[in-house]
Amino acid sequence: MSRVSLKIVGASGQGINSVGEILAKGLKRAGYCVFGYREYPSLIKGGHASYQLDIESAHAIESSELQVHALITLNHHGLELNLQDLKENGIVVHQTPNWLLKPEEAALVRQRNIKLIELPVDSILARLGAKPILGNVLIAAYMWAVLGQDKELLKTMVGERFAKKKDLLELNMQCIEEGFAYADPAHGKLSIAVPEPRDIWKDHLLLRGSEAMGMGAVHAGVRLYAGYPMTPSSPLLTYIADVQNKTGMVIKQAEDEITAAQMVSGAMFMGTRALTATSGGGFDLMSETLSLNGITENPTVFVLAQRPGPATGLPTWTAQGDLMLAVHTAHGEFPRCVVSTSNAQDSFELMPIAFNIAEEFQMSVIVMTDKQIAEALYTQAPFDQEKTQVLRGSRLASEDQLPALKPTDRYDASAVDGVSLRWLPGQKAATFAGQGDEHTAAGSVDESAHNAVSQMEKRMRKHEALKATLPEPDIYGDADPNAPIDIVLVGWGSTKSVIIDVLRDPLFAGKRIDYVHYTYLWPLKTELLEKLAASGRKVLLIEGNFQAQLGKLIMQECGLKIPHHIVKYDGRPFFYDELRDALRTVITSDASSSRTVLETPVTHHP
Amino acid sequence: MSIQLDTTAVEKMKSFHCETKCTWCDGCGDYGIWTAIKRALSELGYSPWQVLLCYDVGCHGNMSDKLNGYRFHGLHGRVLPFAAGAKLANMNVPVIAHGGDGASFSEGVGHLVHSIRSQYPVTFILHNNANYGLTTGQASSLTWQGQPMNTNPNGMAEQTLPSMDFVFSLQPTFVARGFSGNIPQMVEILKAAIQHRGFAFVDMLQACPTYNHFATHEYLLSKCYDANAEGHDVKDFEKARYLATHNADRIATGILYQNEDIPNFYERLVPRQGKKTQAVDEVEKVDISELMKEFI
Ligand SMILES: Cc1ncc(C[n+]2csc(CCOP(=O)(O)OP(=O)(O)O)c2C)c(N)n1
Repeated sequence: MSRVSLKIVGASGQGINSVGEILAKGLKRAGYCVFGYREYPSLIKGGHASYQLDIESAHAIESSELQVHALITLNHHGLELNLQDLKENGIVVHQTPNWLLKPEEAALVRQRNIKLIELPVDSILARLGAKPILGNVLIAAYMWAVLGQDKELLKTMVGERFAKKKDLLELNMQCIEEGFAYADPAHGKLSIAVPEPRDIWKDHLLLRGSEAMGMGAVHAGVRLYAGYPMTPSSPLLTYIADVQNKTGMVIKQAEDEITAAQMVSGAMFMGTRALTATSGGGFDLMSETLSLNGITENPTVFVLAQRPGPATGLPTWTAQGDLMLAVHTAHGEFPRCVVSTSNAQDSFELMPIAFNIAEEFQMSVIVMTDKQIAEALYTQAPFDQEKTQVLRGSRLASEDQLPALKPTDRYDASAVDGVSLRWLPGQKAATFAGQGDEHTAAGSVDESAHNAVSQMEKRMRKHEALKATLPEPDIYGDADPNAPIDIVLVGWGSTKSVIIDVLRDPLFAGKRIDYVHYTYLWPLKTELLEKLAASGRKVLLIEGNFQAQLGKLIMQECGLKIPHHIVKYDGRPFFYDELRDALRTVITSDASSSRTVLETPVTHHP
Repeated sequence: MSIQLDTTAVEKMKSFHCETKCTWCDGCGDYGIWTAIKRALSELGYSPWQVLLCYDVGCHGNMSDKLNGYRFHGLHGRVLPFAAGAKLANMNVPVIAHGGDGASFSEGVGHLVHSIRSQYPVTFILHNNANYGLTTGQASSLTWQGQPMNTNPNGMAEQTLPSMDFVFSLQPTFVARGFSGNIPQMVEILKAAIQHRGFAFVDMLQACPTYNHFATHEYLLSKCYDANAEGHDVKDFEKARYLATHNADRIATGILYQNEDIPNFYERLVPRQGKKTQAVDEVEKVDISELMKEFI
């Protein structure tokens, strides 16, 4: 028995998040690896939304299936819209009395052997004298029973969740009893076979990528956060703000993204670690500041959380459409570093790394994420804090160096790797100007041709110096390195998770598929990829954008043209089953080049 | 017989001097403001390494390499949020932000609004020459309506922004007005502003002999008077607002309003209560074991 998927649907604000969260946390504690995925429109109430849980126990999963084993719908729209999402022998739990299926729906139900059951939520709640809000616990309890899980564990969890609402506790417990009672065979028993649980998952964390990133920022020593709300960067702001009384951080909800970018730049110039995050539109507003940090060589870290554009685009959906933006935005030529997270693990790990790079090379680092990573729920091993290093930069002047410093040390153009000494306001030393105009080594304005050349070359040497320290992309693939490679996949960002999951599918047993994953996107290393490509194997790029932007960067940097593309730009992530099928098609095809555009079927449009 | 000379004050002032030559026009008000800022810092006892001076882009921004001190010369219109971020990271360093009227009432007007309402503990010096100096004399929103300016040959069509009314509407805690021809008064204003608890707004009326042919040096010289010398009570908000906004006959200068009872932004931050360290002192690997527990 392998992965199982449940999907809870209903109107935004109706309680799907509560049901989803109770089940997700419960299943994780019961011994499953849970992956949670939410879809919702950009509005607060109404509109069709979903919360999907995919579970597994044999190994980790970080992707969702399009076709699910169970559908739980909190209103009748789910019965109309989501029946097609069910697998063969799937089950539907709904709460709409006397619902009549249309003939084609009834045919689908018959054909796929789908079982429907009505859970009479309203009448049970009325009998208990409970408010509609308690329906969430009732539904969760019913599903808990259908999944064959331990009632006591659910009670403990619900007790924790409602610890502050003691008056409701008793009613909540009654709802659990009622849910279990209704799951009794007398009511036409439904059940879902789930894999054997395993203890290893129980102590894992269940969290969003944003929360992992927030903890990474705290861990990295970030002491000031300034941000302006914009999905999907807002959950990071919310998390950092929520824990401020524990972390003691300075938090500012700024008046706009320009402010946020300037505030963190000021704070970094002063010598602390400061962070801001935004999405595409806000990042556009920050680009002038990025350029300023380029010439002032001010270390800074910006989180760019992608959603589909242009303009407001699809505010609550996902994309990988801003790679070019991150690499190329802002006027003038200056070095920068672009890295991308792919899941909760590296959302955490990359924060200290980003700050270390920023401070070592005195440049801006852009950490990319997307709605999928920011808001999906990951089952995550507790973060390893041992290996983290907080490195303030080898050219940050030590206390002993201060007395001998000259103003001209700050932007000394003779620095071999372009990285000159840096020291901080308030330190007893010679002073300099952080200068947005082209400047001398001391930061005084200098418009001479020779100075312009030497300062440009100084700064751009940092690009090469950084590139030399960055790792080649990671390779994920078959255990047998000697087997001939059937295909090389190339990607970045959140698609990593679904690719790795898909490669485990029995469909690909016996195939050697190597996945080359780019975490460090700029400066771009291409040697390893060029070597793999030179072996004559098929190379396939998988990206969540229209232009196959990583492909363009690779071509720009080394001339390699990747012939096969699978792209997606409908705002939805790559789903397990759709990517698996598309990948199989590319692998088995004889075409020398191909472009596959994936589009999620209509039911996924709330 | 030799006279005993005491040069300690001179030495202090000299520590702010630097080699770079001034490039402002002859008669520019920036010379006076430049002198006053160095004197104010010297008289307060600061050394260059103890302060951060932040500059917007404009004629005044060219001061960034004309004196010593840690300095930052950033983007047009953006000096205030940069200065605020720097200050919040290290409350021990006085942070002084300089901006033009173009920067402050057009490109970056939003930042001025939010800096006042946020009550950042930052000193802001408005280099008010009532035009865009550096870009060669276009109208700013503080140019007098009807004045012919570069790009407005028929006179500026828009209303002049009532800057002081606007600032007072935001409930500031420190408002002063100086005049670039009166250095001793600017020094006193700046000393008070730098020591103010919250956001200090200092409107420095400055001559721009090249482009401002309406509020000239002579005009300002004849109109400006010292309101403090006339016994103005700096705690009287309504009177201060009246003085600041009624300029037809005489222009009140000096410290117009000051309220030291309002906590600044930093003091209001709950997580920072009782902290002995600054954000700049706190950068280290932080143990997140407690935070992880939330997610089990
Ligand atoms: C984003 C941006 N827009 C425009 C400019 C061009 N610019 C430089 S200074 C300035 C206005 C200067 O006027 P003000 O702020 O009043 O300062 P002053 O020169 O009068 O001291 C402008 C428009 C710029 N540097 N950056």
